[in-house]
Amino acid sequence: MFDQYLIVKNSLKNDIMDGKAVGFQFQVRIADYRGCFLSLHNGYYIEVDGVKYPKSLQTFEINGRPPRTFEEIKTCVWEHFNYDDAGIVHVAKEGGLEPGSHHIGLQQSILAQYGYRGKQDEEWVKNPPEPGTGAGAGKTATICYFDEVLQDA
Amino acid sequence: MSIKRGVSLYSYQQAQFFKQMNWKDMIREVHDNLHTDGIEIIDEATIRDYPFPSEQFIFDWNNEMARWGMKAVTMDIYLDVHQFRDHVMTHAEAAERLKNDIKIAARLGFENVRCLCMVPIDVIEMALPTAEKYNVRIGKEIHAPLPIKRRLTTAWVDPFLDYRMAQQIMDLADRTGSKYVGLVPDMGIFQHSPTRVSIAYRKRHTNIPEAVDFVVENRFNYNMDEMLAKIQEKYPGSDLTDPKSMQGLMLRKSSADPEDLREIAPYIVSIHGKFYEMTEIEGQPGHYEDKSIDYVNPIKILKECGYTGYINSEYEGQRDQQDMGYENLPNEVEEIRRHHEMLTRLCAD
Repeated sequence: MFDQYLIVKNSLKNDIMDGKAVGFQFQVRIADYRGCFLSLHNGYYIEVDGVKYPKSLQTFEINGRPPRTFEEIKTCVWEHFNYDDAGIVHVAKEGGLEPGSHHIGLQQSILAQYGYRGKQDEEWVKNPPEPGTGAGAGKTATICYFDEVLQDA
Repeated sequence: MSIKRGVSLYSYQQAQFFKQMNWKDMIREVHDNLHTDGIEIIDEATIRDYPFPSEQFIFDWNNEMARWGMKAVTMDIYLDVHQFRDHVMTHAEAAERLKNDIKIAARLGFENVRCLCMVPIDVIEMALPTAEKYNVRIGKEIHAPLPIKRRLTTAWVDPFLDYRMAQQIMDLADRTGSKYVGLVPDMGIFQHSPTRVSIAYRKRHTNIPEAVDFVVENRFNYNMDEMLAKIQEKYPGSDLTDPKSMQGLMLRKSSADPEDLREIAPYIVSIHGKFYEMTEIEGQPGHYEDKSIDYVNPIKILKECGYTGYINSEYEGQRDQQDMGYENLPNEVEEIRRHHEMLTRLCAD
C-alpha cells in the first residue's frame, strides 16, 4: 500500500558535512495503515541507479532525534513511529549523488505482526529478515520504484 | 432498537496519510454527512505518541467526541510480538500490552477494544480483570479466512489461525460468567468472490495480465494445484506461481456461513463493516452494494437475532489502488457514504 508515495516527493538531497557530500537522504512514510513501535523498524532495501546500499550504511532520523543506526533503533522498544510522520533515511556514500534524476528502488522492513507465528518468531529474533526479501515488509510486499531529482542540500 | 451504524477511522487512512483529513475532520464527516455517531479507531493510527498519549490529546479527543455527541465504540489494538527484539514477547508481556491498551481505551471513552484473531486465549483471560475494572469489553476479531464455527472453505488457511477461536471465546465468557469478553466479526468473512480492485491491482503487477483473468474466470473449475499447472500450460512463464498469493483471486466461497451468526450473536461486541468497493445496484439508482461481500443475509440474520450493536464501516479498497497516480486514487469519503446508504437501507426495521 501507498506504493507510489512511500518516498516523499522532492525530498532527495545530499548530506553535507564540513562542506563535503558524505551521503544522501530522503524522507519516507510508513508502508502500513498504522504507526509502529520504533524497535520494529528493521531498515530498508535501497538501490539507486542499480547500486544497492545495505542496512549497515543506513541511519534513520525520527522524533526530533539525530540519525540513529538500525542497531540503535532496535533498542527503542517504547518509542513510536507515528503514522502521520515522515522519517529521514540517511545513506552513507562518499561524494553523495550526482545532480539530476535518480531511479530509486525501495522496500521498508517493519517487523509488525498480528500475533504469534511459531518458529518464525524465534528466527526473527536471531536473524531478522533482510530488507527487500518481502519478509517483514508489512503491507507493501513489492520493491517500489521512484524517479527523484536531487534537490539542493 | 435497530442495528447502529458507525465508522472505523481506518476507512479514511489514505486521507490521513495525505493530510487531507485529520481525526477531527473524520468525526465531523461521520456526524454531519453520515448522520450517525459510532466511531472506531486504530490505536496506532489515531493516537499520537501511542502508547503514551499526552493529556492534551486525551482532553482533545474526549472534548471533540462530546461536542458532536459521538460514541466511542471500539478501539482496535495490536500484538507485535517482536517489540522487544531481544526475545519473543511472552504471553504475560502480551497481557500487559492488552491491559495497557484497555486503560488507554477507557481514558478515551471506548466501550470495547478489538484484539486480533491470533491473540492467545490465556492472554485474554489474564487481561479480563482489567477489562472488568475499567469497564471495557475485549472483543476478539473473526477475520477472513476464519469461519465462525464450521470450516467452509478448502482453500489455504493460515496455520496460525485457529478456527475454534469463536468457541474458545464463548467458552471463556460462559466459564467466567463475564460480559467483558466477546467477538468482533469482520464482514470480510462473508466475502465470496475476488474484488474488482484486487484483480485490477494484480493485473498491473504481473508479467501476463491475461493469466489473472483466466484464474478468476476458471476458479471454480480447478483446484489450486491444477490451476497453477494450467496457468503454465496456457501462459508459459507467467509469474503466478505462489499459491498463497493466489488465494484472493481463487476465492470461491466465503469463509463463514451467515447462519452461524445465530450462535455467536449474544457474544458480539461490535462488527467490522469491511468493504472494498461500492457500486450502484443495477436498476436501483442511488442504491449501492459491494459485489464481493454478502451483507444482505448476515444483516437479516443479525436483525432476527435482535443484535442492536454497531456495524462500523471498514473500507479497505484504497490499498489496491495506491500504485497509481493521485488522479486514480479512490475517494474514501464517497465510498463510505455509499456504504452507509447500504447499511441504512439494510438495517432499517
